[in-house]
Amino acid sequence: MGALSFLKDSVFAEEYAAGGGFLQSLDPRVKAITFLLFIIQVLFARSIPALFFLYGLCLFLALVSRINLGFFLKRTWVFIPLFALFIAIPALFSTFSPGEGLATWDILGTKLTITRQGLAAAVTFIMRVAASVSFAVLLTITTRHIELLKVLRIFKIPQVFVMTLGMCYRYIYLFVSMIEDTYRAIKSRVGVLVHYKSGQNIVAWNIAFLWSRSLKLNEEVYRAMLSRGYEGEARVLDEFKTQVKDWLWLFSVAALYLIILWMT
Amino acid sequence: MDDLIFALKDVYFSYLGKFPALRGIDLEIKKGQKVSVIGANGSGKSTLLQILDGLIFADKGEIGFRGRKLNEKIFYDPGFSRDFRRRVGFVFQNPDVQLFCPTVKEDIVFGPLQLGLEKNEIVKRLEKLVEGLGIGALLERQPHQLSVGEKRKVAIASTLIIEPEVLILDEPTAGIDPLTTRHIIDLLIEENLAGSTIITSTHDLHIVEEMSDVVYVFGMDKKIVKSGPAEDILNDTALLSANNLVHIHSHKHMGKVHAHPHLHIEHHNNPG
Repeated sequence: MGALSFLKDSVFAEEYAAGGGFLQSLDPRVKAITFLLFIIQVLFARSIPALFFLYGLCLFLALVSRINLGFFLKRTWVFIPLFALFIAIPALFSTFSPGEGLATWDILGTKLTITRQGLAAAVTFIMRVAASVSFAVLLTITTRHIELLKVLRIFKIPQVFVMTLGMCYRYIYLFVSMIEDTYRAIKSRVGVLVHYKSGQNIVAWNIAFLWSRSLKLNEEVYRAMLSRGYEGEARVLDEFKTQVKDWLWLFSVAALYLIILWMT
Repeated sequence: MDDLIFALKDVYFSYLGKFPALRGIDLEIKKGQKVSVIGANGSGKSTLLQILDGLIFADKGEIGFRGRKLNEKIFYDPGFSRDFRRRVGFVFQNPDVQLFCPTVKEDIVFGPLQLGLEKNEIVKRLEKLVEGLGIGALLERQPHQLSVGEKRKVAIASTLIIEPEVLILDEPTAGIDPLTTRHIIDLLIEENLAGSTIITSTHDLHIVEEMSDVVYVFGMDKKIVKSGPAEDILNDTALLSANNLVHIHSHKHMGKVHAHPHLHIEHHNNPG
């Protein structure tokens, strides 16, 4: 049940996206394009100060978008060690990055030397990951999921694909609620402690039940679509509207992109 | 003859070719009529409504719609298909099936967009409906966040926006509170007064009298047991009892135990 609640909270909670901060007020299309520019810049930046500047800018944007900084850092730094540290640590040493030695240890007759070049490479790599993960997380927590889906359309992703993703998102909640109800029903009849063999049976039965329920739902939803005139290609109401603020933001980010490119 | 919308002759349907759902159904539905289909669970009501909406097709028998035969082939003609979908709207029993878009607003405008209506016209209809149903606050919400009554209202709105001539509703008041039921019934009566044909399936006898010029009673043998004016059907307690639509209810009153059929329709006949 704890895992289900976590899934519900992490997938469906949109408290920051619904907030009234700076990033939330931008047109999602403009926001997605500018964040893509930031991430591209982070990936190609070779200078450590430029990466620190971009990471600082990301934290500043989080602040002006009324995101709790503690929550934001926790959310981003959970992933960074996974992606970066395990790759960056070996790069510190002379074995992989030969150069000017900064510190040396003698462990069981083997000399381990951290080099200046190795340190620079490791910091660059970690900052790249930190900044790009932070920009990606900031985009997702300041934009409603449905708007993110709509944004996919501007990248020429086929409508049927976007619609299928939207439906998956819509019905995951229904299935999560069904699983929750089933577990409550089991708990009310057999208590919390279940023999592992019965547990396996219950899980298997649940998987089979969900599978058959999703097949039935699939058929019914398709009929509901047909009934309202669906002919194989979904048409949607495009309601994005850009304001002067969006264009100013886009222009500023493009200018910043060029300045950093020129300086580095 | 011009007034005839649906004409069914000796219609049979079975699921997977072996589980009968309808057996020898004959019925006629005229323009502007209020028709109710009543029967216990599993008597074939939903199957009939889906056949009327051209979502499934009969194994045997004839289904006519405004003088044309309804079959799978005719829906391959995009012109007919679009015309039919504009004329006939269907509200599903389970609103979760009907509300498949990420937001309420997208769900409501889905139908007219597929049917090629102008965007300005869609926005105009949406504004009118939202005001009439009082669902403005729900538009940007996700369907899974709504209560059952709200889902039901939105599902009805998503069909009404097409402005169909025929409105088919599968148990529109199932599982909702009395006030929301009242709102929905008032709305449907209003639609009928404006000229729409309303076909409702239900086993909620409270609404049958208001929602019916003609009532068809379905039995567990998947056949029409009886049809006629609502008053005649609702007064036939033996018929209702034999088809699981009423039960014998006993309760204590003035210190004595009474037993009588549980109808709950007396207040329609004796207001106040």
